[in-house]
Amino acid sequence: MKKLLSLAACAALFTALLSGCGSQQKQTLNILTWDGYIPSNVISEYGADNNVNINISNFTTNEEMLTKLQSSEASQYDLVIGSDYIVDIARKQNLLAEIDKTKMNNFNNIGKEFLNQYYDPESKYAVPYSAGTPLIVYDPSKVDTDIKGYADLWNPSLADKLVIMDDARNVIGITLKTMGKSLNETDPAVLQQASEKLNALRPNIRLLDYNNPQEAMLSGEAAVGYMFTSQVAAVLSERPDFKVVYPWEGMGFGIDNWFVPAKATNKDAAFDFLNYMYEPERFAYIAEQIQYLCVNNASEKYLSDAYKNNTALHIPSEVLGDTEFIEDIGTDAAAVYDEIWTKFKQQ
Amino acid sequence: MNKKLHISDAYLILVLLLMYLPIFVVIVYSFNGSKLSTVWGGFSFQWYRNLIHNSQLMQCLKNSLILAFLSCSVSAVVGTIGAVGITRIRWRTRGFLESVCIIPIMIPEIILGMVFLAFFSFLGMKFGMLTLVIAHTAFCIPYIFMMVKARLAGMDSSLEDAALDLGAPPVRVFLDITLPLITPAVLSGTLLAFAMSLDDVVISFFVTGPNTNTLPVKIFSQMKTGVTPEINALCTLMLAATFLIVILSRLISKKFK
Repeated sequence: MKKLLSLAACAALFTALLSGCGSQQKQTLNILTWDGYIPSNVISEYGADNNVNINISNFTTNEEMLTKLQSSEASQYDLVIGSDYIVDIARKQNLLAEIDKTKMNNFNNIGKEFLNQYYDPESKYAVPYSAGTPLIVYDPSKVDTDIKGYADLWNPSLADKLVIMDDARNVIGITLKTMGKSLNETDPAVLQQASEKLNALRPNIRLLDYNNPQEAMLSGEAAVGYMFTSQVAAVLSERPDFKVVYPWEGMGFGIDNWFVPAKATNKDAAFDFLNYMYEPERFAYIAEQIQYLCVNNASEKYLSDAYKNNTALHIPSEVLGDTEFIEDIGTDAAAVYDEIWTKFKQQ
Repeated sequence: MNKKLHISDAYLILVLLLMYLPIFVVIVYSFNGSKLSTVWGGFSFQWYRNLIHNSQLMQCLKNSLILAFLSCSVSAVVGTIGAVGITRIRWRTRGFLESVCIIPIMIPEIILGMVFLAFFSFLGMKFGMLTLVIAHTAFCIPYIFMMVKARLAGMDSSLEDAALDLGAPPVRVFLDITLPLITPAVLSGTLLAFAMSLDDVVISFFVTGPNTNTLPVKIFSQMKTGVTPEINALCTLMLAATFLIVILSRLISKKFK
């Protein structure tokens, strides 16, 4: 009898849950993003001003997000963020809706250097949000040589002083750059040479860290670092005396973009929220909060001095002109990269 | 003799250190005034204050607790019935059935997650709390099932036989004899399942909907921008709650004995 009662109670809970989902009067906007990628007060203020109920859900990797998008019920999301290469895949699979620029006036403020990239040649589907380029940062008091580019990382005086990101494509990529090749090289012979060159870097490496290399720099464990934009920015905001290098061989580039899934049910709300985020003053605030390059030209005058003086975040556009994206190179070449990386790590 | 004792003491201390030192570090850093985890910026309750005012984080915590509570309640009932039922059957298929019942926790999570995603999409179900509860119940049942089954195996079956012999109907025997005897196993199985449900990331991500973000999914997603010290504060509070629950369950099980 007790069991029957508890079963009945469970059934009642279920129905209560189900009915709870269907009875919302407010407009709803469902966003799928990395945690912390939109400052929380921007979300709450928009929700309160426009009587919109914003639901945020999170994902960890681009690939997870794509899987979710491909499942037939993905129409539940109205606005999604993703990195450049994943936007390319999603666009080719017709998963994206065109951005209605008549509903997003602030699209015009976005800098030309961030638009019309390979993943969206006519900038029809993706709205660039955060851009970054991995950089070299070093502590001049602990380094004798003048570092100008990637090639200087091989300098024997830097033995056991480097922290670099634990990422095959980026690190093999900069090795290729020192050889005058592309980040997206697929020729096996060239990759073999790169593998040998990369192995010679091993004595200089103190540690490999993908998520928190900035901590090794700040604690003094490493004197030279190669890491992502926001990490370099974090190092510089603590230690302004550290130097940033824009490698002369050319820099890698990455842009995370907003897009609206083709099956989204509330596209207009998504465009309206995008327009709201890209208001010049608000976008300056967002760029400072998330610590990436500001893609909104109209925001320039609202940026704080601390942001403008941070050389990892405020990069001259003539330097940015030379950037190259890490693109999808197909599974065969990717396997070669993996193999090179494994060999390098096992040394 | 004396030396032997020393080695075993050192061993115990080493293992306990390994288990609890990282946890201790998290607790200490939850009171760190600095945002960086390598720099000590003085003692502060700042992250606890931020935590309370972080409505998104609190909402996720609430979702996770509701989810763990619902899936554990359902699987406690299902798992107990299953364990009691399976010890009563004498078919040849029994061994096979037992294996089938515990397979959900042997399958890699990522596969289970994909399977649920495909299954719920196929049925055209709306992703949200209901799909989460169904998926979590599926992997919570085996924990309770195994605990209760082990307890039943060690139970003297003549107790039940005696009650039946004295004329008690089977339902009465179950409620008055069997259930009180297996209650500690049901409780510990449920606690284990609760913990499993509360820290699941992979399956949760695939079956969650737009308005049921869970805490582990949110924390994992912070890898992109860096985990905030608020999480240290939250971990400390959850650890305190966990210790409290463990102490309570010890007290309860003592009472039962």
